[in-house]
Amino acid sequence: MADLLHDPKQAWKPWEPTAKQPWDLRRAAHLLRRAEFGTPIRELESCVQTGYPATIDRVFSLAQRVPFDQSMQAMEKALSSSQDPRQLAVWWLLRMVQTPCQLLEKTTLFWHGHFATNADKVLDSRAMLKQIEWLRSHALGHFEPMVQGISRDVAMLIYLDSEENRKTRPNENYARELMELFCLGPGHYSEKDIKELARCFTGWEIRRGNFRFNKNQHDHAEKILLGQRGDFSGEQAVHIVLNQPSTADFIARKLVRFFVLDDRVLSDELIEPLAAQLRESDFDIQATLKTIMTSQLFFADDTIGQKVKSPVEMAVGLLRSLEVQEDLNELSNRLLALGHLPLYPPNVKGWGGGREWINASTFLGRTNLVYKIANQESEQFSRGSISKALNVFAKTDPVIWVKKLVDAYVAVPLPDDTMRQLLELGSGKRRSLDQRVADVVCAMGATPEYQLN
Amino acid sequence: MFTRRKMIQATFGSAALITAGTAAPPFLWGASRQASQKSDEKILVVIQLSGGNDGLNTVIPYANDEYYRNRFTLAVEKSQVAKIDDEIGWHPALNGFARLLDDGQLAVVQGVGYPNPNRSHFESMDLWHTAHQNTKEFPRGWLGRCVDEHLSGELPAIHYGGEKQPLALTTRTKPVASIQSLDQFRLRLGEHRPLSLGIAKNLEQQREHRHELLGFIHENASMAMTTSQKLESILSTGDAMKTYPETTLGKKLAAVAQLIESGLPTRIYYVTHDGFDTHANQAAAHAALLQQLGDATQAFHEDLKNKGHAERTLLMTFSEFGRRVRENASRGTDHGTAAPLFLAGGRLKAGPLNQHPDLLDLEQGDLKHNIDYRSVYATVLEDWLGVESTEILGQPFKKLNLFI
Repeated sequence: MADLLHDPKQAWKPWEPTAKQPWDLRRAAHLLRRAEFGTPIRELESCVQTGYPATIDRVFSLAQRVPFDQSMQAMEKALSSSQDPRQLAVWWLLRMVQTPCQLLEKTTLFWHGHFATNADKVLDSRAMLKQIEWLRSHALGHFEPMVQGISRDVAMLIYLDSEENRKTRPNENYARELMELFCLGPGHYSEKDIKELARCFTGWEIRRGNFRFNKNQHDHAEKILLGQRGDFSGEQAVHIVLNQPSTADFIARKLVRFFVLDDRVLSDELIEPLAAQLRESDFDIQATLKTIMTSQLFFADDTIGQKVKSPVEMAVGLLRSLEVQEDLNELSNRLLALGHLPLYPPNVKGWGGGREWINASTFLGRTNLVYKIANQESEQFSRGSISKALNVFAKTDPVIWVKKLVDAYVAVPLPDDTMRQLLELGSGKRRSLDQRVADVVCAMGATPEYQLN
Repeated sequence: MFTRRKMIQATFGSAALITAGTAAPPFLWGASRQASQKSDEKILVVIQLSGGNDGLNTVIPYANDEYYRNRFTLAVEKSQVAKIDDEIGWHPALNGFARLLDDGQLAVVQGVGYPNPNRSHFESMDLWHTAHQNTKEFPRGWLGRCVDEHLSGELPAIHYGGEKQPLALTTRTKPVASIQSLDQFRLRLGEHRPLSLGIAKNLEQQREHRHELLGFIHENASMAMTTSQKLESILSTGDAMKTYPETTLGKKLAAVAQLIESGLPTRIYYVTHDGFDTHANQAAAHAALLQQLGDATQAFHEDLKNKGHAERTLLMTFSEFGRRVRENASRGTDHGTAAPLFLAGGRLKAGPLNQHPDLLDLEQGDLKHNIDYRSVYATVLEDWLGVESTEILGQPFKKLNLFI
């Protein structure tokens, strides 16, 4: 991969299975770990069977979106009148577990981290729900309409103290974050641009829980924004910011960090082909994601496991893989402690990801979480037990099922001695099959390798 | 990489150290505990004020009309200010700091900042964390460099809190422990001993050298195991909180005091106090934050004094920037530049070290700094922790006259 990182032309060319890089359980599991939150072993095996193109179709299919959304509607309606936004976080976790449109949900989580808004400050479930729905409806669409909407989004403007925006003393906060965090990245604008952009947003305000444009408070004088002159409205200003050359680069880089590699320095040259695709397609996110997730770089041996599992990926992934129910209220407390509860990002920059997920406390917390989930009562498993969920039977040789489990759920090879340890736990005397399977899952979950995605 | 491996091998390689759930404390630990209890090694406690603390409403230039002109709704009335001298005084919520100053335990460094100020939270915080020495490929913090180059032994630094580990503590050779809370900091894996033992044993296996990310996780995992066992064996639960305010910061500092008292050889503790990004309706929120800061700090100092650690413990606050001199339309303040920094405990020269920045000599509406924060770092590193600062900070900085 070292070569591909320095070969932008080759890196994003479509990958095809070869004898050296076959479409097998390892690569199917890799694709689905990145594109989905987690996948039962049966489905992984059937993806190997049906082949690579069919699995890509599965990943990008939105066929079941409408019926699933309809099935969630009643609950969402009830939630929007709830006073406690924590319930909304629980609802979102449930959605992640249940939705058949996994990539859409994961990309929505990506955008939530990008346009990070914290419910603790907004304290308005209806506004938060609306924001998440907005992000979901544009997550795989086009970037400009998403940003235009976010710029008028009630939760966002409350979060960034921008409910009021008077022409005499414009509030700089939203203007700053739009350029620094949402579109351009640091270094591509000046403090003067922030002040000018803030003037374009004057008159944008929240009244009684709704966005409105107060034309008496809009500064109609000329502004000079990023080298352009004119009496720009807020909307025009957003358009100008979005069409700076660095926006596409900034977004493409962030997508690669989230879906491909979060511990590598990514050169401008490597990112440029994706940035060009964004520019040339009106920022078509789905098409760009497809380029990314079908690329040679994506399937390169050294890309597999070169990311850290976020706490949500880990927890929701395990629930989905084991097809097990869990008290999501309790889970939300644990995720908060692990630093990754949806709707509660640490600040407007969102979650940094990568190494930031791992420290002494979070390692212990992650291991405790795997233990808790693996040791649920049998009736919580929709297949009846943890062994059935993982297709393990009393007569199956532990050598076989332990290895298959590791191949499906650990991105990089485990040391030989660790494999022996797992095998010992898997064949332990005086333990029931379910206990042994739970022991193996837990010990596997406590390896450094399991933390990789 | 090689040195890091060797270090890990040396630190965690011993099977005797990683025995999950044994009642007897590992022998190595017993030794280091004994040694450190006798020592009077100096300790630094950093409190990061996240969000950009409004320095002007912290140390208030109450004698200056410019202050009242710019802070038309947010100014603290002269009569409310707890006066330090003829020009400046405390925000009334900072009575904790006022008392520390009265006891000769607090120093104020005014107008701390750096040239070409960056007004982005994240960029400016990174500058403070790295002492302006960030590289994309190997980011490392100023305290991390201090740990790497100068502090040996176990647990040289501890970050106490649930947020991500601050970049200031990022090391290259050995990871720094983040502890979210003392009572959560342990494995809970039921009664089946072979499972806990197996997990501990798995962490002893060597990992492939070239997978750096895996190495990082492995080091943190090993350290988590040994540290959690250690803490379990030395910490007594009880009335540690009794004399502290029931606030997040109060709880954090109570835990830090407990860790210091436990005899850990740790030299650096790091906690954060978040919420200072006061763009709107600042008055009440800011007062509450200052109240929490002053009260917790004061309780911490009292506690350490009773336990006999006050003389060897220095506390330092900082924030990524101050705020704009003129308040905004939302009864708040936008991102600014220079602000005061506080040190407490230790053997400080108490009181304000220097003049308040000039309110008439502004740059883009912001205060000009009169002391570079790296001068404070250099002083703390050399005169307190006793380590050479030039390499850590990239260049020599003029030291301040902070200590007796």
